[in-house]
Amino acid sequence: MILVRSAQGLYWMSRYLARAEHLCRMMALQMEAMVDRPFREVHFGWSRIYGTMERTPPWGDIGELESDEGLLFDSYTLAEDMTFERLHPESVWSCFAMGRENARQMRQCITGEMWLGLNLPYLRLQKMGIRDIWRTSPETFYNETAGAISAFTGAAADTMYRDENWFFMRLGRAIEKSQLTTGLFLTQLRLSRQADESFDGDWETLLRLYHAFEAYVVRYAVQVEPGQVLDLLATDNHLPSSLSRMLGHVEEAIDALGPGPDAAASDELRRLAGRVSALVKYEWDGRHNPEPLLNEVYSHCRDLHDLVSATYFDYPIQDAPER
Amino acid sequence: MDFGNYQLDLTHYDEMFLPDGTPRDGSGPLYEALTGLSEEELAGIQERVTHSFSTEGITFTVYGDEEAEERIIPVDCVPRIVTASEWAFLERGLVQRITTLNRFLSDVYGEGRIVQDGVIPVDVVRGCPQYRVEMRGMEPPLGVWVAICGTDVVRTNDGFFVLEDNLRVPSGVSYMIANRKAVKAGLRRVYRSSRVRDVEHYGRLLRETLREVAPRGHADPSLVLLTPGIYNSAFYEHMFLAGELGAQLVEGRDLVVNDGYVYTRTTSGLRRVDVIYRRVDDDFLDPLVFRPDSLLGVPGLLHAYRLGNVTLANAPGTGVADDKSVYAYVPDMVRYYLGEEPLLKNVETTICRRPEGLEYTLDNLEKLVVKRVGGSGGYGMLVGPHSTAAEREAYAQEMRANPSDFISQPTLALSRAPCLVDGRFEPRHVDLRPFMLTGRETRTVPGAFCRVALREGSLVVNSSQGGGGKDLWVLED
Repeated sequence: MILVRSAQGLYWMSRYLARAEHLCRMMALQMEAMVDRPFREVHFGWSRIYGTMERTPPWGDIGELESDEGLLFDSYTLAEDMTFERLHPESVWSCFAMGRENARQMRQCITGEMWLGLNLPYLRLQKMGIRDIWRTSPETFYNETAGAISAFTGAAADTMYRDENWFFMRLGRAIEKSQLTTGLFLTQLRLSRQADESFDGDWETLLRLYHAFEAYVVRYAVQVEPGQVLDLLATDNHLPSSLSRMLGHVEEAIDALGPGPDAAASDELRRLAGRVSALVKYEWDGRHNPEPLLNEVYSHCRDLHDLVSATYFDYPIQDAPER
Repeated sequence: MDFGNYQLDLTHYDEMFLPDGTPRDGSGPLYEALTGLSEEELAGIQERVTHSFSTEGITFTVYGDEEAEERIIPVDCVPRIVTASEWAFLERGLVQRITTLNRFLSDVYGEGRIVQDGVIPVDVVRGCPQYRVEMRGMEPPLGVWVAICGTDVVRTNDGFFVLEDNLRVPSGVSYMIANRKAVKAGLRRVYRSSRVRDVEHYGRLLRETLREVAPRGHADPSLVLLTPGIYNSAFYEHMFLAGELGAQLVEGRDLVVNDGYVYTRTTSGLRRVDVIYRRVDDDFLDPLVFRPDSLLGVPGLLHAYRLGNVTLANAPGTGVADDKSVYAYVPDMVRYYLGEEPLLKNVETTICRRPEGLEYTLDNLEKLVVKRVGGSGGYGMLVGPHSTAAEREAYAQEMRANPSDFISQPTLALSRAPCLVDGRFEPRHVDLRPFMLTGRETRTVPGAFCRVALREGSLVVNSSQGGGGKDLWVLED
């Protein structure tokens, strides 16, 4: 039985950090692509990042990138916007800082190892700007920041007592990652459909984003085929960040937390968590128009968040049971 | 490293050395240990002590003109020694004092006998901004108004003096424990051989005390620690103590009052709260009773308290007993309530609300320390001998405008203790804040938060004013 404020703090801390980590991993691959990939692939990459994060660039539209100079100039601005823009809640800085702020307020609920693991990279990040990372190896910066968040998650797994604090953290992370993954798939499918036939859609980047390239090669073939990529990333339970695995974590966390004070919302939450998990497990068909199902999952991820709030955080006081 | 350049000044009591330069009773082993260490070894110990504060995030907040700033509390690695007999005397005096102050609070919010009998003037009590009429007629469980007290004590060549009683939300106990953990790790051999009494069981004693003052003698009460939040200067301490107590650290928004009971809002529903160790000032506790603009408190909390359904430790209204004007009457209170002579002396205090007091203070500003009655943390204090003529004139104007806001005291020759400064031992002024816990009985931990004025010649030990801390070792008999 933990305070609502603590549960909310831990839930949001995880969501923000998962978002920062996901964005860093996408940015690292984009920075690598800028070294030797064709214009249109770099352009595609930026569109994918902005589309997944549901953002628009500072000038309103990615537009066309038609030359090396333009590519470099625009990419610099886009990277700064996605990384250090403090006014935008979806930049790496904002997500990391919000995650750390929630951790600071919940220090009594997390371990010393976790706090140090988050605070030290935060202090480093606080002093940095795009110029500090751009000239040499920007991908190193993104990989290190994503690595720091992974290490934080690892420290949590190694040191946290498996009580409600832990499960609210896990729930926040799993919902965030499910939503981000679904959003990424939908963006990828939309952009691929819009691209001309000579472009392969850069599906390999998705595999690398989820550390799944080797697994793909073993399971399928060296040739990357979009439907198989989606199958693997959505349904393979051996892949740590597959969609079905994340949705499984949502279900597990809700089971472990048990019902909240609002009985109706609790029932609805459990039912929906089971439904969305089953959708991916049993109704998935990545090779034949998966978009309707992904749209449904995406919408359900938002509903799951609302139901978590209604069940555990925003319940009416007058009807709440005394424990 | 030797004490060759250490300057003794006979006008100030030295905590380590006798006037002839030999170590005092109990200080010999520490002296031997310190002189047996090289400069590099001592510097290494000091660095590790400071580093441990930094990594643990043991900070306080300094409030400047523009914004609050988080700082690490400077800590000196050379401990201060208090012998068993000195501690026994201090403990008796402190228990006598807190017993008296609890009786005073019961009296002034009850019958008011002490006022009727003319021991303390009515205007001193009722004119005190910390007197809470809302508490009239209240009697907390076991008659304990002040469950947690931290008393500031100084030593001069004339013995120990109480500088002030902190009866509202005294802080510093976490630094006492942090100092101990850091310093004993650095001076492990001499710590063991000196037979120093333990302080790290404070959390257990605090828990026992809070359980004893639970409403209606509840045997297994639910405890919470109420903090103003992360931006409060003592937030580290709140977090630390909540951990020691095994209590939830709550903010006002985590609590609700329903049908006269207080509950925490948990993810499973409402959980009843029996005892609140509150680190929020009276003014902010309940917007329905005190400041209506408070966002830190809990609407209806005082109602639940009045019904006896929850204990607040310390009780609201205790500030009247640690007011700097009321302080002057504590020795008389001891005689009145206990029929005993006070063991611990007060510093002679002149109350400026009295015309003769104001006149005396204004005439002697350059010799006196003048304090604001409601001040704390060393803010807004005038140390006459260290002030400029312009500062004194500005202060005098304020005093003439609001004389009842001020008291004055003679400048005390505070004792000094050796500190490691720039690679050598130098004397610095010190005080101590021992903590007392009162439930069915009054308990003390044999130790204190020892504050040091780290600036050379400074008498101000407050951390907000350049002060630091050091460990205080109470030796076994």
